[in-house]
Amino acid sequence: MYPHDALPDDVYARVGEKLAEAAREEPEAARTIEDGVSALDAGPPFAELPAGEQLEALKGIEGSDFFELVRSTAVTEVYSDQRTWRLVGYEGPSFDKGGYVTRGFDDLDWLGDPETAS
Amino acid sequence: MSAQPDGRRFAADDADVIVVIGSGAGGGTLANELCQKGAKVVLIEAGKHHQPEDFINDEWASLNQLAWLDARTTSGSWRIAAEFPNLPAWTCKTVGGTTVHWAGCCVRFKDWEFRPRSEHGPIDGASLLDWPISLSDLEPYYDTAEYRLGVTCTNGIPAPPANNNFKVMGNGARRAGYQGVSTGRMAFNTIPRDGRPGTIQDGFNYQGDKQRAHWSTLTVEIPRAEQTGRLDLRPESMAVRIEHDGSGQVTGVVYVDAEGNEQRQKARVVCVACNAIETARLLLNSVSPLFPDGLANSSGQVGRNYMRHLTGSVFATFGKPVRMYRGETMAGIVTDESRNDPARGFVGGYYMQLLSLGPSFLSTFLRPRAWGRDFAAIMEQYDHMAGMWLVGEDLPQQGNRVTLNRDVYDQFGQPVPNVHVDDHPNDTAMREHAYAAGESVYGAVDALRTFRVSPYPTTHNLGTARMSARPEDGVVNEFGRAHDVPNLFVSDGSVMTSSAAANPTLTIVALALRQAEHIEQQLKAGAL
Repeated sequence: MYPHDALPDDVYARVGEKLAEAAREEPEAARTIEDGVSALDAGPPFAELPAGEQLEALKGIEGSDFFELVRSTAVTEVYSDQRTWRLVGYEGPSFDKGGYVTRGFDDLDWLGDPETAS
Repeated sequence: MSAQPDGRRFAADDADVIVVIGSGAGGGTLANELCQKGAKVVLIEAGKHHQPEDFINDEWASLNQLAWLDARTTSGSWRIAAEFPNLPAWTCKTVGGTTVHWAGCCVRFKDWEFRPRSEHGPIDGASLLDWPISLSDLEPYYDTAEYRLGVTCTNGIPAPPANNNFKVMGNGARRAGYQGVSTGRMAFNTIPRDGRPGTIQDGFNYQGDKQRAHWSTLTVEIPRAEQTGRLDLRPESMAVRIEHDGSGQVTGVVYVDAEGNEQRQKARVVCVACNAIETARLLLNSVSPLFPDGLANSSGQVGRNYMRHLTGSVFATFGKPVRMYRGETMAGIVTDESRNDPARGFVGGYYMQLLSLGPSFLSTFLRPRAWGRDFAAIMEQYDHMAGMWLVGEDLPQQGNRVTLNRDVYDQFGQPVPNVHVDDHPNDTAMREHAYAAGESVYGAVDALRTFRVSPYPTTHNLGTARMSARPEDGVVNEFGRAHDVPNLFVSDGSVMTSSAAANPTLTIVALALRQAEHIEQQLKAGAL
């Protein structure tokens, strides 16, 4: 759902782990996942489809409870992973390093300081 | 008196104390002011007493630590009801309230923003009303508030330096023809002041400020109140009901403590400062034969006129790196559009303010529910992205309101608040104008692509117990004192009769200072 070719599969495996955890802890989530997976696998198994057909299948269930559960879990996990942060150029917490005050908070050099009113 | 390490405790039946409910900008400031003036204060706070060193610089983990996540529901045509149906607002449940995640923008309201009905005339669908006070009534308190908060560009305090995100917005705004461009009046230290350090620009504001460079009631007001020996702070205490006697005077507050036990604290005066949604809910939940529609609600206005500002944002990608996340997240403002110029197709004004989010939140809010390769490609541009927030006046409407949802109950057995909002056509017109203005700013510095971001859960919640000159038009008078109940006060943004365009915290603090003075005078005069 959030494909970044440079990210290791492990980032995406965490999404599956998170969903499995939700299924263990919340019966409602377990039902949603079970129903959603069996619907996706009603024809040829989803995992064996070519990428283009997988995408079409996902578009077909967009907005369903199952889709939203997987999507919202994926967006949270993928973009809170430090490997994704490195990929997109986010350095994250800086407090322990003394902040960004001496580490480039104003190092943008393709524009000058704008004229400011008081 | 010296600080009391274990905190002062007043007896539950001490009917001489003032109970303040909520420890944020309004309640925390008011509690300290009252303590400084010699009053005994019990400060009831639903959240835990976290300290800055406990704050977590990770967006989702921090949200779970600090945000108010108790059950709420939504209805109406606003996009929140579809996109974030159980999170109408992003406020805090912690000692210090929402000041803990406040970025610090301190803009005074304008003279005409205190009299919207006179300025704009009648507007269909809007319940416009003039405040019972004017800017000149509030100016001395604004002065005190700015000194107290250490607002940059006031009292000789240096302006914040231009950070990367500001260089993009500021240059774009200048090239687009705007004049009122600055790094802003901000409630964080640019230099060491008042026992707190200058900012190290660590890039985290909404997750709490670990280094204490920002003013908050957690780090400034509450510790000072504790030093008087007259503050009894009770965290993890959820107020569920305000009680009164046969004459209609309030007598105390019922709350549920950390162990889940109901407690009753007697009071001489009760001040409600729970943020606009919970303030309305507490009053509506406090029903009795004398107040069948909720406490202080003879006007029927409790919960109505809910406002949360225009709210929207524009992000843009550029050919070269920006790294917007480095530094203070909101230290930049463009003020030109804050004027009232109905020729633009709407009344009232708005500000463009700097905004940065980390990848965790940006991926959720940039295009709610988006997915796929295109979206992932946008996220890969993260370090080439700049952002701004659009904050402007939204109009009060009778139907935009907080009510009790009797189908859903919370962990304390109380009906949860439902927040209903329909955008007024004026709000929609202003938002469209603001989006276009934001795009022109970024277009002027060669943005590759711009994104209009729909309003996400707001931190600005206003108007649900509004001030009015006449009791039939609102809930409280010019001092925040309930029209119906002489020893009941509202001390947060709920009292705002109009939202104005500006971030509300500075005004909430100024109103709390003014209210504290009034309460002191009334106590001395034997009128409370």
